[in-house]
Amino acid sequence: MVGGFRWAAMFPDEVWEHVFSFLPADADRNAAALVCRAWYRLERRSRWRVFVGNCYAVEPAAAVRRFPEVRAAAIKGKPHFADFNLVPSDWGGGAEAWVEAMAEGWPHLEELRLKRMVVSDDCLELIARCFKNFKVLSLVSCEGFSTAGLAAIAANCRYLRELDLHENEVEDNCLHWMSHFPESCTSLVTLNIACLEGEVNVSVLERLIGRCPNLKTLRLNHSVPLERLVGLLHRAPQLVDLGTGKYAAQHHPELFSRLESAIAGCKNLKGLSGFWEAGPTFLPAIYSVCEGLTSLNLSYATIQGPELIKLISRCKNLQRLWVMDLIEDEGLIAVAASCKLLQELRVFPSDPYGAAQPISLTEHGLVAISAGCPMLHSVLYFCRQMTNAALLTVAKNCPNFTCFRLCIMEPHTPDYITRQPLDAGFSAIVESCKHLRRLSLSGLLTDLVFKSIGASANRLEMLSVAFAGDGDAGLHYILSGCKNLRKLEIRDCPFGDKPLLDNAAKLETMRSLWMSSCSVTLGACRQLARKMPLLNVEVINERKRGLPLELQPDNCPVEKLYIYRTVAGPRSDTPSCVWILR
Amino acid sequence: MELELGLALPGGDLIAELGLASEKSTSMCRKRGFDDMFCRATSPPLFVQKDGDDDDGDDDDSRFNHLQELNLGSRVLVGWPPVRVSRRKSEEGGKRRVNCVKVNMEGVAIGRKVDLSLHDSYQALFLTLSQMFPKKQHDGEESDAAYYKVTYEDEDGDWMLVGDVPWEAFIL
Repeated sequence: MVGGFRWAAMFPDEVWEHVFSFLPADADRNAAALVCRAWYRLERRSRWRVFVGNCYAVEPAAAVRRFPEVRAAAIKGKPHFADFNLVPSDWGGGAEAWVEAMAEGWPHLEELRLKRMVVSDDCLELIARCFKNFKVLSLVSCEGFSTAGLAAIAANCRYLRELDLHENEVEDNCLHWMSHFPESCTSLVTLNIACLEGEVNVSVLERLIGRCPNLKTLRLNHSVPLERLVGLLHRAPQLVDLGTGKYAAQHHPELFSRLESAIAGCKNLKGLSGFWEAGPTFLPAIYSVCEGLTSLNLSYATIQGPELIKLISRCKNLQRLWVMDLIEDEGLIAVAASCKLLQELRVFPSDPYGAAQPISLTEHGLVAISAGCPMLHSVLYFCRQMTNAALLTVAKNCPNFTCFRLCIMEPHTPDYITRQPLDAGFSAIVESCKHLRRLSLSGLLTDLVFKSIGASANRLEMLSVAFAGDGDAGLHYILSGCKNLRKLEIRDCPFGDKPLLDNAAKLETMRSLWMSSCSVTLGACRQLARKMPLLNVEVINERKRGLPLELQPDNCPVEKLYIYRTVAGPRSDTPSCVWILR
Repeated sequence: MELELGLALPGGDLIAELGLASEKSTSMCRKRGFDDMFCRATSPPLFVQKDGDDDDGDDDDSRFNHLQELNLGSRVLVGWPPVRVSRRKSEEGGKRRVNCVKVNMEGVAIGRKVDLSLHDSYQALFLTLSQMFPKKQHDGEESDAAYYKVTYEDEDGDWMLVGDVPWEAFIL
């Protein structure tokens, strides 16, 4: 502002709102809102999409009050390590507080996306009742609801466009929930029920998709038999993304040819997934659409290498491939030769607990992909051996990585040829990949790798560390470097109190920090909580050890620690194993 | 007798060539494949040895003992490797119990291992076998894949023709 001139009044509010409509990114809008009170007022009334990365970072009522015109909200709950059973099941992340506040203040809400939250049937019923214009419900890695809740959504959301259920734990107590979609429901664009465990009434589903001409994404669950897939595809040949149900049946040439022609009839198919229990018999039925595929998820299909190679070599336009390690090095070499547009690769372990025969998926597969696929930028790779040399090669081949997650399945595994730690390899990755936003480490690692990461990983936003480091220095390098770090999750590392206390201010610049099975004491947590009022310092001790936590001495070890910045103060829904220190 | 992996063409005395398992040849071997290659002194007609599916201990040389230790020696860790609960559940639900059998072909020194649980029919199995043991050309004439018979040794030690019993009974 110059002098007392209220330059914001130069234009009517509507003009400024129109200007702000060209700022979709939250960061830009947040910056605009800080310019002056007028812009703050104008921006908040024109923001219609909010993303809340941590449901406990702000009071729901405060968020609703600040942005009264929101039409689309995305909210995340539990920490990422909840996916691997490290977070107690009653930790929190309940959606009720948010849904109630939104029902009150955002009656025009159209889209709701929740991730890692506990969503009850009551929540779903509230959503179904209160939001008259509701169009999109996306639940990812959530739990706490049943098909009865889904029935309420189906029955009441007259304009529902997307029902996207991804990897949720859903109780199956309402067999005919899909029958609750009224005949008047014709607006579905996305229907993803892949995570449902129960039976699905395929005839009801056939009628539903038959009356939804705009359906683009259909992902079935494993209860839908292969024979019925034919009928479904006939009713939705316009599909762009298909998740099959069970992809196995008694071998039958007639079924094969009907399936083949039904799939070929889907001329717009770009994505395929599902393939539960797939064997080699029916895989060739999809050959006709392979050339057009950009996304292929075979990570639930236990198909051997040769069959995978025959299939994937036809997918010349593949951008995303998710597959089991049964593809082996040989298969990845074939992928590298055929899929020149590949951007994202995920290789999952067929046998994480290592009882079956060893799979020949090694560092060679990864190197081959890095050499053959110039557009590769995102990798998730589970394997059992690695070398620094291989990682150096990968780093040189792929300077454009944005996401690199390597999981060598046995903790503390060194370079199997030199027996050295893998510091040099991962350092090469962070030094070469200047745009790296996400990194997961594994194998034998000393504090040296953290020195490199702290110094070089300037765009890194999320770091996952397990069974690594020598001592406090490792954590200190990370917290004192990594300018853009938002999420840090650590397990089973010898990191203690000092780096936390020395870098307390850093924690306020991040969304959250998780540490479990490290060397942090209660005393340090108490100090941190006193020093940093804008952090919630949650100590999670599941083993009941005599004295309650308030009375434990400072040197009491902390099993699990979750620290996050918040303007909402301590939450009121903590279970008995969680203490929030003040 | 420790069975060794060889990168040479079938035939010849691979064990003599490799000598004792040196570090170099061990790592070469590890590159080549998993525990599906081994030598036999005699090569009976193409057969599937059913009793061999559980005794991995016999076949694995020190190279694979190392790998097995990595898998079996570690204590039980919660949430490691970081595989989602839903993914693990579906793997168990898919009933993927490994069912490996050794396969040897007459005239071929190196045998292979096949995981029957990854196949859903005889057709699929024969397809895999024909890929593992490609047709050899004798004096310019093409051998017919149908020329080879696939047999297996049952619990009583009798040699049976593969395909006699329904697939579901065969894989049990």
